Amino acid sequence: MTTATPAATAVDGAAKTGRPGRRGRPATGVGRPGFAWAAPAAVFFGLFALVPLVLVVVLSFARWNGLGSPEFAGLENWSRLLDDPVMVKSLWLSLLLTVLGVVVQTPISILLGVWAAGRQRNRAVLSAVYFVPLLLSITAVSVLWRAVLDPNFGIPSQARWLFGDGNLLGTQAGALGVLVFVSTWQFTPLHTLIYQGAARAVPEVLYQAAQIDGAGRVRQFFHITLPQLRNTIVTSMILMVVGGLTTFDTILILTQGGPGTDTTNSAYYMYQKAFKSFDFGAASAIALLLVLVATLVSLILVRLTGYDRMRSTMEGV
Amino acid sequence: MKRHARLLRTALVGGASLAMTLSLTACGGSGDATAGGSDTIRVLVYGDAANKVEKRLVDTFNKTSKVKAVLDTIPGADYQAKLQTIISGKQAPDVFFNWGGGSIKPYVDAGLLMPLDDFIAKDPGLTSRFLPSVMDTAVVNGKPYGVPMRGTQPVLLFSNKKVLADAGVTPPRTWDELLAAVKVLKAKGVIPIALGGGDKWPTQMWFQYVYDRVAGPGHFRKAVNGDKSVWASADSRKALGMLRELIDAGAFGTNYDSVKFTDGGSPALLATGKAAFELMGSWEYSTLQEAYPDFVRNDLGYGTFPTVEGGKGDPDNLVGNPNNFYSVLKRTRHPEAVAEFLKLMYSDEFVKSQLGIGNLPTTTNTPEFLDGSANPAYSTYQYDLVKKAPVFQLSWDQAYPPAATTTIYQAVQQFFNGQSGPDAFIAAMQSLPAA
Repeated sequence: MTTATPAATAVDGAAKTGRPGRRGRPATGVGRPGFAWAAPAAVFFGLFALVPLVLVVVLSFARWNGLGSPEFAGLENWSRLLDDPVMVKSLWLSLLLTVLGVVVQTPISILLGVWAAGRQRNRAVLSAVYFVPLLLSITAVSVLWRAVLDPNFGIPSQARWLFGDGNLLGTQAGALGVLVFVSTWQFTPLHTLIYQGAARAVPEVLYQAAQIDGAGRVRQFFHITLPQLRNTIVTSMILMVVGGLTTFDTILILTQGGPGTDTTNSAYYMYQKAFKSFDFGAASAIALLLVLVATLVSLILVRLTGYDRMRSTMEGV
Repeated sequence: MKRHARLLRTALVGGASLAMTLSLTACGGSGDATAGGSDTIRVLVYGDAANKVEKRLVDTFNKTSKVKAVLDTIPGADYQAKLQTIISGKQAPDVFFNWGGGSIKPYVDAGLLMPLDDFIAKDPGLTSRFLPSVMDTAVVNGKPYGVPMRGTQPVLLFSNKKVLADAGVTPPRTWDELLAAVKVLKAKGVIPIALGGGDKWPTQMWFQYVYDRVAGPGHFRKAVNGDKSVWASADSRKALGMLRELIDAGAFGTNYDSVKFTDGGSPALLATGKAAFELMGSWEYSTLQEAYPDFVRNDLGYGTFPTVEGGKGDPDNLVGNPNNFYSVLKRTRHPEAVAEFLKLMYSDEFVKSQLGIGNLPTTTNTPEFLDGSANPAYSTYQYDLVKKAPVFQLSWDQAYPPAATTTIYQAVQQFFNGQSGPDAFIAAMQSLPAA
């Protein structure tokens, strides 16, 4: 079973229906929960997600600086954005930060998660310690790392052989590195937790069988654990992609998009346009573009990994 | 799942400004939420330590006035963004804090602000009791839109006297002396000039002064009024060339873009002797006073920006924030009460209270009370500078409308760290909207 199905099964069980292969309403009259149950959530979603989204679409075709009423501007914002080198660069930066985030965080999280799935007591304690960064607010984390990485008073001043002059946030490579590092530091625990849960759900019998066949730990990891984690990897990666594309807080605090526009990703650029330049039309267009890109990337990811077919990883199913 | 929430938030931000207008009803700060009540005027200020003086003034005002003033505060970093979202709505204040210049230009253009000519005609003290170079800052399209409040903030060249003495360097009076000092200090292994390049606006201060000294104040006045050609002038290129020379001489070290003023990075460099100079607004004094009182007592030096031989700018010219201002909304229901409230800005009580918290008001009666300030010598020095300055140029990022800020910051940072050359800088400045 995938990690998602136990919950679904529980619901189905409660409704006494919906088992795979059994179709139609049962005769007992104990039906599925009615749509009314979803109404409160639907109202909230409509009010706080759909309505603003529609407003953003409208604003993206308007000229508005927050004063007075928006003026219709046709495709002006869009054509301006497509000609804007910073906009194009910001999309690339968003994708780059996302890819770097996934590439760096995934292996670490899998290894830590699988390791933490063991049952010894010390692991439980250590896992709890790993989890601490996630409990801190991203703002606090960014401020903390900013201080630690200060070129004149922080770690770089003590380790010149590694950091040179410590101008980490003053170069594009350095600044991107710091951004990836800080979000890895903060969000690896979350993904570790997900992998830990998934790794614990791998049936014990598979390992026992492998051991009988003489497979070592490394082989077990690559031939049993990793394949069994496939769906979890996709789940975790989608979370990373969504988080990566919308990275904002770390940039606001650590680099403010600088040096120059070297770390201005789309989310930060949108903020700059809206709340620094008071160009809400352009900001809305960026927001929509970001929604489109994020949706596209998620869809591609889902297709490529076969997640949409929801193939079970359970042995023999 | 914070990350899911973030995607949602991203989608929302554009439309959020609308929602914000609604939610600001709740964020209006102190006082009851029935804005626009028949017998109150609402005063909106930048939220910080100076609020205690403003609260006191409001209390003083309310003792004698039938129309009561209510003080609302908005935390610093969000001030401009929030002001812009409420100013054309129902929650708009009657009187609000600003930086003058471009910071209020969009509101003037939108027809939201009241020119203060009538107030001044009835009470000439509203101009004559303030220093002229300061009053000029809040003139937009030839009409006055602001009355100075709080204190003046000229940018000064601060130094670490001990570091200078150890290196045998005296505070530079000319640009050439500054370049010479940089060489000596660099050879001694200290960073000649601390710079919080991560914040970008400290970098901008260098441009402001060099341009003023080389090209004179007329250059920027023309530029901000829409004459883009001045950015490509010979003076402009000369100023950029001088900055390049200073940067290439290693004046700021190599990692200034990783240092910030706002988190105490660059003041720490100065105070701990790792750097010899820092160009900073007069608030540097209180910043250092809080973190390094011993250093301030013994080794903190301060002076004006060096002169430039053959430059068109008067060596007495200053840049920085001449002051903050109160501007008045056109649709206030109580203009008489507002006029009475503004009169308090040159009252003795106001001056004494501001000096008491380290601010330096720009009223003509300030000298009478300078002895009561936190540091009389420093306050007197500053006051005299501001008083004799022929021109006190408002910081570029405030003189231009808010829409220009990001471009200015990027241009100064990229020019400084070598990502772009003079042509790119000039092109960027020419792309700015006129004030």
